[in-house]
Amino acid sequence: MPAVLRAAPETVKIGMIHPVTGPLAFGGGQCRLGGQIAVADLNDVGGIKSLGGAKVEAVLGDAQGKAEIASGLVDQMAEQKVAGITGCYASNLALAVTQTAAKYSIPVSIDSGIADSITSRGLANVFRFFPDNTTMTNQAIACLDALNKGAGSPAKSAVIVHENSEFGTSTAKLLATKLAGIGIAAKETIGHATPTRDFTNIALRIKAQAPDLVLITNYPNEYQLLLRTLYQQKVDLVAAYSVSGGGFNLPFAKDQPAVSANMIDYNHWYNPHDPRAEAFRKRVEAAGHVFGWEVLFGYFAVRVLADAIERAGSADADRVIPAFAASTWHDDWLPYGPTRFVNGQNQGARGLGLQIQDADIKVIWPGDFADAKPVFPRPKAG
Amino acid sequence: MRRAAVPLALGVLALLPFASSSQFLVTLATLTAVSAALGQAWNIAGGFGGLTSFGHAAFFGLGAYAAAILQTRYGLNPWLGLPAAAAVGGAAGWLIGFSAFRAGLRGSYFALVTLAFAEAFRVLANSLDITGGGSGILVALHPAPGNFQFADRRVSYALALLLLGLATGAAAWLASGRFGAQLMAVRENEDAARALGVAVVRTKSATLALSGALTALGGVLYVQSYLYLDPGIAFSAERSVEMLLIAMIGGAGTILGPLLGAIVVHAIADTTRSLIATPGVAPMLYGVVLLVIVGVLPGGLVRIVARHA
Repeated sequence: MPAVLRAAPETVKIGMIHPVTGPLAFGGGQCRLGGQIAVADLNDVGGIKSLGGAKVEAVLGDAQGKAEIASGLVDQMAEQKVAGITGCYASNLALAVTQTAAKYSIPVSIDSGIADSITSRGLANVFRFFPDNTTMTNQAIACLDALNKGAGSPAKSAVIVHENSEFGTSTAKLLATKLAGIGIAAKETIGHATPTRDFTNIALRIKAQAPDLVLITNYPNEYQLLLRTLYQQKVDLVAAYSVSGGGFNLPFAKDQPAVSANMIDYNHWYNPHDPRAEAFRKRVEAAGHVFGWEVLFGYFAVRVLADAIERAGSADADRVIPAFAASTWHDDWLPYGPTRFVNGQNQGARGLGLQIQDADIKVIWPGDFADAKPVFPRPKAG
Repeated sequence: MRRAAVPLALGVLALLPFASSSQFLVTLATLTAVSAALGQAWNIAGGFGGLTSFGHAAFFGLGAYAAAILQTRYGLNPWLGLPAAAAVGGAAGWLIGFSAFRAGLRGSYFALVTLAFAEAFRVLANSLDITGGGSGILVALHPAPGNFQFADRRVSYALALLLLGLATGAAAWLASGRFGAQLMAVRENEDAARALGVAVVRTKSATLALSGALTALGGVLYVQSYLYLDPGIAFSAERSVEMLLIAMIGGAGTILGPLLGAIVVHAIADTTRSLIATPGVAPMLYGVVLLVIVGVLPGGLVRIVARHA
């Protein structure tokens, strides 16, 4: 009996658009790394089974931090017939990419663009597995309130420092309106450009205001430079607290232990009680990479998109998009629970209260996920 | 015959994307045409007028914000953004020019003033509610010709070509007309021009107004193509430098210079980015090639064309 000849299944292309050069290169590179690991994992277990084991192929694009380049990459990826796109690390890039992808009805799985407007514009092709800015900020306020009240309310005033693009500005606005509700007065809101390379004046302004808290929301380089300057200027605080702090990562914890010690961040992280999460982190580090939450973002943005393709049994957008919208995926190590998209936003997505302790990142809030007790207030400076 | 060869070749090159379904080519051509138009707009002031500006992003951003605000805040038809932006850009050019030139600022002082204006506008756009602050302005996606949004990128490319044609026409008018002769006289020797009866401040201000209006039109094309604008996109120093660089590399003060500059700069930048996946290598290679061009051809690429024509 002759062997049945069957054509090898075609590959399923997934576009990945990130800024891997320019000022956002670190975070963008981390997202890309996560996406590439996800593609390797998918192929290791047999590709997209409903498509006869079609292999997944990553189509990489470097947006260089520019919206017009990111948008042009979507045009090129549409031509290459990608089944979906993941990206874009920064909100302004995600806004441009999703608009252009909507013209082609290409599904977009957002990794770390946090702006609410990415999913609130009613674009049917856009999905965010991760939390949006309002969710993160509301939870960050709840976390700060719990930490403060748990310590006898030592923090009564704050200065907010933010980078002045979409991400930092919208977060700072939300913070400023919510602080009064938890008994903390916002003394001043200070915006700065990205890049900014000298924070001395800002640190001195903060020192003059003598707040109990400094609330920070900005990108990696500025985040770490600001904290270093606050440390050098011996600005005494109950706590330095960031929301989606771009520079809150393991290299910062390990390379600058004195500056980073006891820094609190409300951010994305894995569930430390799930052994698969710790194993994933070790796997990334063993391969010589830095592990950060952006790697998780890149990873799960691809996984949840691939799941939609799998269930759709097709790489066609008109079947993938409804399958994506109906996702109940929960094979994750993030503290999200089963996926449920409403207008493209996963309703169960959430962040965690994190703190750098002993040059490592620990979960300190909420108690269900915590693996360390909070240090709040922190020891006096110097 | 040889003189006509370059414009003819450029014309054929410009038409290629219409015959191709390659999105890579259309995207590359659109970015190149917009850059060439912006470079030409800068060239009108910086090349023909000697008004070296480091802050032309001010006009680009003002035009872009004018178009975005009028349609998102006041519900005006996006097409009306074009004349509105040209008026705003032109008025800003006149005002900046008139105040700087009346104060006798020229050369590097004028360059710094333009840089300061661009930065001031960026800070303002970051602070004002009408511009959306740092969050910027999102233009809703409604692809339709009446909304100045096109499903086919080639239409955007055609509009970019039109703007390039307009800017190049203005440059050609300067190169051959009476006003252009006065402007170049001012560029070469202000005192001598004044002695000959040229109204120096008015000539320079009008030139900056023309350049500002054309640059603002580029801002409108940007907003309608990408439907999102924030202060960083609108007023970044990088955008000002790109306009200047394209004119300088191609040949400042010449009609063909910005066209050649844009083609070469984008061909190098986009092809290296497409061919080299390793992060950082493409921008590095791009920088090296630009350095070589500037070092070997200080008069710009147009010198090579002139030598062979």
